[in-house]
Amino acid sequence: MRCRNGHTNLKIPQDIQVHVVNTNFTLRWNYTGNDANVTFSAEYRWFDDSEPNDMEWKKLPGCQNVTGTECDFSSAITKYYDTHYVRIRAERREEVSSWSSIFEMIPSLIAQIGPPGIQLQSTNGVIKIKVSPPEANQVQKMWIDQSSFRYNLVIWENASNAEFRSQSIFPTDVIDGLAPDTTYCLKVQATLPLDSQEGFFSPVRCVKTTRKVNDLLCATNVRVLALNMKFHLHWNNRYKQHVSYNVQYLIGYLKMLHDDYSAKWINVAGCENITDTQCNFSSIITTTGFYYLRVQAVNEYNKSCLSNEVKVDPLITNEIGPPDVTVDISDMLLHIQISPPGDRESEVMREHYDLSYRLLYWKNSSNNEEEVKTKEIKQTIATVSDLTSATLYCVKVQAFSEVYNKSSSYSKEKCIKTPGDKLLPLIILATFATALIVVCLVATLLVFVLYQAYNKIKYVFFPSCQPPLNIEGFGPQLFSSPYLSATEELVENCSVMEPVITEAVNQFDFKDYQHSKESSRDSGNYSNDDDTSESKASEETLVKEIV
Amino acid sequence: MNALGLIQVGLILSCTTTIISSLHCNHLPLQQRKVVENSLQLLDKMGKKFPQQCLREKTSFRFPERVLKPRQKETVKAAIEEIFQHIFYIFSKNLTLAAWDGTALEQFQNGLYRQIEQLEACVIKKQSHYFWSKEVNRLKLKKYFKKIDCFLKDKQHNLCSWEISRAEMRKCLQLVDKVIRKLNN
Repeated sequence: MRCRNGHTNLKIPQDIQVHVVNTNFTLRWNYTGNDANVTFSAEYRWFDDSEPNDMEWKKLPGCQNVTGTECDFSSAITKYYDTHYVRIRAERREEVSSWSSIFEMIPSLIAQIGPPGIQLQSTNGVIKIKVSPPEANQVQKMWIDQSSFRYNLVIWENASNAEFRSQSIFPTDVIDGLAPDTTYCLKVQATLPLDSQEGFFSPVRCVKTTRKVNDLLCATNVRVLALNMKFHLHWNNRYKQHVSYNVQYLIGYLKMLHDDYSAKWINVAGCENITDTQCNFSSIITTTGFYYLRVQAVNEYNKSCLSNEVKVDPLITNEIGPPDVTVDISDMLLHIQISPPGDRESEVMREHYDLSYRLLYWKNSSNNEEEVKTKEIKQTIATVSDLTSATLYCVKVQAFSEVYNKSSSYSKEKCIKTPGDKLLPLIILATFATALIVVCLVATLLVFVLYQAYNKIKYVFFPSCQPPLNIEGFGPQLFSSPYLSATEELVENCSVMEPVITEAVNQFDFKDYQHSKESSRDSGNYSNDDDTSESKASEETLVKEIV
Repeated sequence: MNALGLIQVGLILSCTTTIISSLHCNHLPLQQRKVVENSLQLLDKMGKKFPQQCLREKTSFRFPERVLKPRQKETVKAAIEEIFQHIFYIFSKNLTLAAWDGTALEQFQNGLYRQIEQLEACVIKKQSHYFWSKEVNRLKLKKYFKKIDCFLKDKQHNLCSWEISRAEMRKCLQLVDKVIRKLNN
């Protein structure tokens, strides 16, 4: 049994490093001591979640009795997510050094991405490139998910080495924007953005571009116009003879896979063998997907040409159309009803865009327009309350999506007038009624005054008092004649008559004539009173007569 | 470069790039919710009810839920991107024996991939990807999906293995759905 002595002159290997490219594991170290006849052997162990007790050191295959300062131990490692520990020591015949410091590693974290493979084809002024992933044909892979690779291309003109351009490419792609008949050199690296990893570049390949043949048959200027989730593809035709078109689409994610997708283009229903230079492809669109579209032009000799591809990301490509607005007024409130853009697609758009509406309203007066007010709402009904009466208000609405930074054009303006003051008719009515009453009163008063005047006049000019029949010399002529002198005489006559009658009466009936006595007495003392009382009496009889 | 230095760099990056990211990725939260909802619907649509005969083959894969609860919000986004990437990869394998609805499957893949692309395109990616690459739970996530991949390979992608995987992916997406809703509230 050979003794392995811990205390030895052999130096311990230093600076242990592990380099991993794809699944190739290389152990490297430094040895400062005398390396004559010295070999190195390594051990390893790993920490497995399922078997925590298995922590024994094992011999590292591929790194036993190694003469240089590096070894390949790829065959030993299979658990790429587990922590591994490696240590190494120097050996010379029976002597062994102490074990080096332990190198700890998780393979997937220190692994680097190897270079991808490239296939090039130079045709029609462009370079067609097909990238094969690192570990393309390997059974055991470090990078299992090949679809997560993103490829970065670096290309430059061979002649002018300085200027190079860098772009991301699909596994199968076309590099254009190149000058014809020029030699270009390029290299590609695979990256894993999620792992913050950039792999090794492929070896540089150089290729010469051909001349570009401008085939008039091909459809050009292929573009998408989309409004309210109705998608239309438009293109231009430069071919003079008869040409028919097939519009084809590809489900977006297929471009990302390494598999050949050339057979996976599908004709859009309703756009096969058409002569029109536009196509409605809304039928193939779903809101959560994305697509590529191209136009295949075919002439009468069955020669075809494929146009450029257009990428369609439905919610981003689509434009929102204007909404419709109706206005109504009631009780000094302006009610605004918005009908969302799109008919059947309106619900889809509202949901995916999280649509809101911007309301603009202003007073439309004959002089310069007043300040425009804005309101932003989520619902399709709005009410404006701070209105002035008898004013014309105008409204227009725009739909917008804040998150997608998209807004529609404004709807047509709708105007409506607020009603006048309700109080005014009442005032008019009240005024009229009052005026009516006043007029009636005035009229009544006037009539009354006129009547009184009439009576007076009639009394003065046309008295009804008849003199007694025993007055001589008077008779009707006297009463019919006018005015002044006759009146005096009349009065006098009446006053003269009275005392005579009174005395005569007294002789016959004392009672009956008491009144007259009193009156005569009165008349005796107060001649004026006499007159007035007499005249009053006559007036009364006059009045009675008239009545 | 010590951890403190890394944190400092990270903080500076996060301050400057937060504003930029909001300009480019505004629609992402809404879109993500829609994609996950849609994906769950399509998962149901592509096949029939879980076959009874496959019940005994059911394996517990133990999704590492902690990966969706890291300290930083940005790391969660990278975690979701990686989950979508893994699910996309699994469903790109040989599915002939599963006999599922091809159209539903295509739409499922398409929606997932578009979301992955959008997440990558967000300006903040460099910073969040960097932190994600250092995340401890990332390895657990990789192991989880590798386990499913190995399971499918061992069973030669037969019907039961596909149905079990489909059910497992459904659970996974539902967890992601919950996290997305919490993130954006």
